[in-house]
Amino acid sequence: MFQTIRRLFLTLLFLSISTSHLFAADADSESEEPVIDVMGTVADHDYFKVPKFINGGKLYLPRLIFWEDAEGATQFSAFSSTKKAIESGLFEDVDHVLTPVSGVITLDMSITSHLVYFWMSMLFAVLLTVAMSNRYKKGFGRDVEPKGAFQNLFEVFFVFIRDEVVRANIEGHKADKYVPYLFTVFMGIAFMNLFGLLPWAATATADLTVTATLAVISFFVIQFSGSKDHWEHVFWFPGVPTPIRLILTPVEILGLFTKPFALAIRLFANMLSGKIMIISILGLIFIFADFFGTVAGYGVSAFSVTLTVVLYALKTFVALLQAYIFTLLTAVFIGMAAEEHHHEEHAADHAA
Amino acid sequence: MGLLAAGIGAGIVAIGAGIGIGMIGKAATESIARQPEASGDIRGAMILTAAFIEGVALFCAVICILLVFFGG
Repeated sequence: MFQTIRRLFLTLLFLSISTSHLFAADADSESEEPVIDVMGTVADHDYFKVPKFINGGKLYLPRLIFWEDAEGATQFSAFSSTKKAIESGLFEDVDHVLTPVSGVITLDMSITSHLVYFWMSMLFAVLLTVAMSNRYKKGFGRDVEPKGAFQNLFEVFFVFIRDEVVRANIEGHKADKYVPYLFTVFMGIAFMNLFGLLPWAATATADLTVTATLAVISFFVIQFSGSKDHWEHVFWFPGVPTPIRLILTPVEILGLFTKPFALAIRLFANMLSGKIMIISILGLIFIFADFFGTVAGYGVSAFSVTLTVVLYALKTFVALLQAYIFTLLTAVFIGMAAEEHHHEEHAADHAA
Repeated sequence: MGLLAAGIGAGIVAIGAGIGIGMIGKAATESIARQPEASGDIRGAMILTAAFIEGVALFCAVICILLVFFGG
């Protein structure tokens, strides 16, 4: 299994080097509108982008839709693709949005490209972690030293998350309880970000719904790990006059929600801006070629491609950094919530 | 109008975030120079604070993006 993962990883690495990212930029150029459709390339799609020679570059994903028909009865329809849904006669295409001929969609459970990448990265994270835990069970890294580049690399990340992120921010005996969750988050986000760097791939984290889901999970973990003191600080701040408490309590309650909100927006905006930047800079080639002829396009491409290579290196760093920051901030917030204050003991110390 | 607002807004956000992160960088390098043995802790605190500033800046960036697409 370890061999298989390594082979897959090497194949992906080879793919990422040997193919260019240009296909992402001209994918939607058949429409007569702008030369480069920036938002179209970063948005979620109902197809899985693949190299052009396979099925014209698009593998369509299934649509699963709960909808209400004209009589108000809830129906469930499943189609293998958007085209099949339109062919069935129940749905029609209104401005590239699938709408029932009569009735409304109540819940769209369709599988989209970002969801596929989400699952894929989670699968990768699980496979990698399970493979590694099997090695540790066999004694590598426990009785004898870790063997192979892969396990050593894994251990660097794992020990870093455990010691520098979790144990440094969550106090004492509680810390190790949160290592599995935080490491899963780190691996998942890191894989999602790194998958986004592959050609034809979509960055799942450049989608607010994905990051918001992660942030909501973090929100619940933070709140459920809250100690009695945490809730006291939220609802009835100790040691301040009551009129000030009336102001503090709403602010504190608001603070509970802004933290995960900031987590979601930070990750989303970072990944989105990186992607938009690369597409825009590569798009300059096509815009210049469109305005001033092919020669200008070639001229600009020298500048654009160089800049893109630099940006790509930066994005690889940012992919890991953002995963780290999401994990770190979640750990800090958990640490803040789980912290137990010792007012009484301090008072006793002063009295003595 | 929305485009203009988004452009000006993004510029102001860049100024604010730039000043903020620059000040963190200045303070961090100064403290590392003063006390090199604490560089690990300082770096951690630096990244954390920078992340907070970046978060605020990105809120505004998202508002600018919203202005471009829905500001009319």
